[in-house]
Amino acid sequence: MIYLNPDQHRILKWRINSGGIAGVIGPPGCGKTTFGALQAIKLVSEGYANRVLLVALTNSAANEFSRELSIVLGPDASKFMCVRSGYAPGADNSLPIPFSNELDVIKKKQIVICTTQSLKRLSRKSSLVRFDNMIIDEAGIERLEHLLSPFVLGINQLGVQMMKESISYEVNSIIELASTCGVVATVVGDPKQSRPIRSEDYDLSAMEWVLKCAKCDTLYTTYRLPDDLAMLVNEFAGYQGLTSAPEIAGRRLVVDYNTIDKEFRDIINPDKVVTWLDLDGTEEMAGPSSWYNDLEARACVRICQEIKKAAPSKSIMIVTRYAEQRRIVSKYLQQLGLGVRVLTTAGALGTQSDIVIFTIVRNNPERRIGAIGSLQDLNVAISRSKEKLIIVGSLNMMLNAKPRMHNLGMQPKHNFPQRLAQLVSKEKYGEIVEAPPILR
Amino acid sequence: MDINMNTDILDVRRTYESLRKSNTHLVQSSEIATACVCQNLFKLDYPYGAITSDKDYLIANTVHDIMSLCMGGPVIENWQNSPNDCEDLTRKIVDESCEIVNGIIEDTLDNAFKESRFVPDDFKDRVNETYNGLIAGITRRLMKKYEKPLRVITEVTISNIKNHHEGRIDALLEYHNGYGLLDWKSYDLSKTVSGREKWQLIANSLLANYRYCLNENDWSKYRFSCIIHYTGAYFPRIETIEKEVEKIRINRKFAHDVLCGMRVNAQRPNFCPVCDKGLEGSKECQFYQRDARLFHEGMLPAQYDKLTRQFFAKRYAILKERAETHLHKHVFSILIDRYGEEEAIRRLEKTGIICRKFTYDFDDGEKVILSGADNDIPLEPRKIVRIIGIEKDKPLLSCISEQASVMEVINNKITLSLRSKIAVRRAKRQLFDLPIIMLRDELNLTRSMLRPIHTFHKLAADIFIHQGLMMS
Repeated sequence: MIYLNPDQHRILKWRINSGGIAGVIGPPGCGKTTFGALQAIKLVSEGYANRVLLVALTNSAANEFSRELSIVLGPDASKFMCVRSGYAPGADNSLPIPFSNELDVIKKKQIVICTTQSLKRLSRKSSLVRFDNMIIDEAGIERLEHLLSPFVLGINQLGVQMMKESISYEVNSIIELASTCGVVATVVGDPKQSRPIRSEDYDLSAMEWVLKCAKCDTLYTTYRLPDDLAMLVNEFAGYQGLTSAPEIAGRRLVVDYNTIDKEFRDIINPDKVVTWLDLDGTEEMAGPSSWYNDLEARACVRICQEIKKAAPSKSIMIVTRYAEQRRIVSKYLQQLGLGVRVLTTAGALGTQSDIVIFTIVRNNPERRIGAIGSLQDLNVAISRSKEKLIIVGSLNMMLNAKPRMHNLGMQPKHNFPQRLAQLVSKEKYGEIVEAPPILR
Repeated sequence: MDINMNTDILDVRRTYESLRKSNTHLVQSSEIATACVCQNLFKLDYPYGAITSDKDYLIANTVHDIMSLCMGGPVIENWQNSPNDCEDLTRKIVDESCEIVNGIIEDTLDNAFKESRFVPDDFKDRVNETYNGLIAGITRRLMKKYEKPLRVITEVTISNIKNHHEGRIDALLEYHNGYGLLDWKSYDLSKTVSGREKWQLIANSLLANYRYCLNENDWSKYRFSCIIHYTGAYFPRIETIEKEVEKIRINRKFAHDVLCGMRVNAQRPNFCPVCDKGLEGSKECQFYQRDARLFHEGMLPAQYDKLTRQFFAKRYAILKERAETHLHKHVFSILIDRYGEEEAIRRLEKTGIICRKFTYDFDDGEKVILSGADNDIPLEPRKIVRIIGIEKDKPLLSCISEQASVMEVINNKITLSLRSKIAVRRAKRQLFDLPIIMLRDELNLTRSMLRPIHTFHKLAADIFIHQGLMMS
């Protein structure tokens, strides 16, 4: 028996009964992957589609799709109905879903799982294989041109013929063209969590294109964020109604408080879901566009050590916007073997952890906040945690941050670092903790 | 961090920023050759994306791999100046290559199986047959004309940033005061009609001149260039080369301008081996030519015109992605011009773009472990690097190199995955003895992204353009 919440139920019903291309916005923890897998199963099991394509951005996300399908369908049915295609070393062999790139095998299966990158191989064979429905995940980080590889596999020549006959049809964008050529796709993503890498400010992501040119709906119930954090994320990113699922709303970190050093007790305080450790470290330049902050890196590692003492079974993730900071933190952690993941905001997309430590890195007298000032990066950083979020960095820097002017020379409309700092500092959704001497 | 260090990093950052706003395209020798055949044909590839061949070059690639190892092994070891019995010598080289050939075939089959690629039943026979043919070409023609070189290096990637030119040369034979350039073709050259192979060879010769003389126009070290093919060898005459070099330059500029998004009119040759013979791509070529004509005549329907503009915007966004894959090389080249090689390396080392002082530790056939001088290696797993062996008196971006991805960094040890087991063997033979630097690099995965845009462009034409206009 599959339980669907009202949002999921509404969207599933809508997508089953409507064709064309449409968008589903999935705020953090709203179960986009689960929803995609369920939609695929529903479509094929109830005869709405003969063949469904599930497209993910990365191999790990494609494996997540496979895992969800295996859980819902069971090993035998998933083995019979599904196939994982693309880059063989990237596929999870422990799952019952077989791997193949052979067209004959793919044609026999009803659900095909693939990454966007590997799909290019399959799209060359578009005349030989067609999918009458597709679900494309994480479209916020893709550009429109990346969506065209899956779309090619959904073209219905009959639709094209009908289109030719109805000359009055208005088509103004590639999305509309694909839609009217018979492509049926649910494009899932969240423009408030991701932007295409290295894109200009005025470039739209694939998700934004879909939202602009097609209908869309939003999932509002998060299964990851406890109440305080869900409210913070909702207000920070302006989701207009993101709430925690009842069963997780009151979830709090459970630790052996007595084992924590006194200086760290306020930081790890399990009663507060969000804690801001106000630390005045110095930023340093690295590489063509990266930064690091050694004091923050050391503080993060030290906090991890304390948490591991008090709650060894909890998963911890350190998130940063900067690859260099990730490298420095990983280097410090390497010697300790704590099993803590260190990810950049781009890499953290689609992941979660019991405890998340977010290191801001930037701190300068000019208050130039740079790339970390974007809505998407800040949103991802604060929305990965299931029980506790610890923000490490200078509060003053964030309260007075000057966001980067975008390339058109205009001031951005919103000051997101300031908004986040204000939401936490007014003790609305969190607590500010002065850095103890040991971390300074 | 001292002020000087910050200044150095800022300088590198500014160079990156300024280059991000400009075009950092490099034209490959193979693309120049295509443009030489017909400029429209090049545009079919870029920016239209109409030609993305479905052919799997498994046999050709395997033969290339075999040649890249055997050339510096059994071939050079058995080199005879003007051999008396070519057949006997061919047989001897083939026999001695047996272990290499079988090993590479096994690896290829293994990889093809893992990737579910189609392998023809007679794969092994065809690879062996082609290899035998190439060796026969070398003994019969090349050894007849030229003496044993001092050294052979294979699969050499050369980037000439100033001339926006890059290419991968199959083999370079080095002599006391000159070089010979080889290109393998696994098919019978006498049956080809376009002359594309010749232009690719000459374009690569310009790159080789840059490597050996620091100037592509300096032919003083050029001894010969040659295409070894299935049944023999083709040596272009020096008069032919002189005549064609200008054509190469014109088409290189054309290709670069097209990639940069400039409006350049393609010149159709008197005879186009694709369109005039109705080969693969001719229909697409005519489609885009008709599109351009209708646009100039103002006869494109408004909706189609609007969509076409969107298609081109997306195409050039993809091409910009392609240009960005060459960004690190451009920065390196600019800094070398500004400060000289040593200072450029020093500055880029500070920013983590270049790492040096590495020595080869060991390998397990697929992965290579290198040792650094200290524990602070600024690279992370999944980053792509170009491992460059510094050769004396050669521009750094023309030295022997291999591309690799970082697998693991622990203390001063870095584990790298090269493209294949063959690349590891090749690197051990010709790269790891040299002083090594590692330059950050990127993979170019953009080409196949253009194909779906072409498909939708054609669909839009099919829907919106009246049949009468389509036929005209």
